[in-house]
Amino acid sequence: MSDDSLPLALPLLRLASGSSEVTTLYRELRKPLLRYLVCLGLSSDEAQDVVQDAFLSLQRHLALDGTQENIRAWLFRVAHNQARNRQSSYHRRFSEPLESQMDFLADDATPEQRVLEKEKFRRLAAAIRLLTESERECLLLRAGGLRYREIGEVLGMAVSTVGDTVERAIKKLAEKCNV
Amino acid sequence: MCDVQAKLIPWLDRELSPGEAAAVDRHVKGCQECRDQLATYKQVSETIDIYYDVVVAAKTRRHVSHWVPVLASAVMTAVAMFLVLPQRGVGPPPVLAPPAAVTSASAISVPLPAPHPAEPAPRKMIRRRHAGPTLRERAVKWQPSETAVQIAIPADAMFPPGAMPQGMNFIAELSIAPDGSVQQVRLRE
Repeated sequence: MSDDSLPLALPLLRLASGSSEVTTLYRELRKPLLRYLVCLGLSSDEAQDVVQDAFLSLQRHLALDGTQENIRAWLFRVAHNQARNRQSSYHRRFSEPLESQMDFLADDATPEQRVLEKEKFRRLAAAIRLLTESERECLLLRAGGLRYREIGEVLGMAVSTVGDTVERAIKKLAEKCNV
Repeated sequence: MCDVQAKLIPWLDRELSPGEAAAVDRHVKGCQECRDQLATYKQVSETIDIYYDVVVAAKTRRHVSHWVPVLASAVMTAVAMFLVLPQRGVGPPPVLAPPAAVTSASAISVPLPAPHPAEPAPRKMIRRRHAGPTLRERAVKWQPSETAVQIAIPADAMFPPGAMPQGMNFIAELSIAPDGSVQQVRLRE
């Protein structure tokens, strides 16, 4: 997990004073947010909309002299909530089998390697579907580079609970996938 | 099983305090079991990362492939319209043969002077109220006009409802040349 992307506490007064800070934030966080939302089950278009809405909300929040210690966690939380509101068929789409979408894996690999890769991801997808919702979300946010404290802020969980959940999820996946 | 194993994942995620991290670091160097466990957790984490990238790539790719045929057909339709419309709309009028009824009527109503057997009967044309050039003459004289098609599009038709500011309205006039190129675009109120 990388901890080099953003400082945890960004000074909001500086953010409010110029939009260039928000632009920098947008450049840095757009891709992780999109990745999180798409993996959460949104379509690419929906994810783009939610990211834009989240940054608009940030602008409004700052314009109203709103304060927030951790902008990254705040943005992920806003995006997460908006995604939940939009996604009526969240569970169905999240658990949609992805095997059919992985035909393009490792184009330069040998057929044997492709089969093995595909099988590995098929097992992982099946194992991820068996995780609880909070375990999946913790893993997704962890993969997005968030610290346990930030994950806790996004999902409304204690830091220790996040640690336990991540550990449980990884152990389950290691057991099921035999990677 | 080592007690340290419970701290391996937080150690991987750099969530331990410096003191705890150093202790785990020392332990892992001397414990094969923990090293194996750590390697497994690392591999799972990397596989998850790749898996999520694959999911995003697959969804994006799938999304594009749905739209490609739609966009392609729309572009082809537009091109076809530009190519076909000018020819149909303002092309030279077709050259028509004189109607058979005219020929036969003239043969019936006009008494022919005793014709020479070898000489064909003179053809009498129907008088028109406004004498003008024949279709054939017009076709020969026809020259393509400068502007083939003129289209006027009101602003309401170009923008979605609500996109136009209140009180603002205009009409876009588009002149298309016979070769299909856009000749002039003019906005008027």
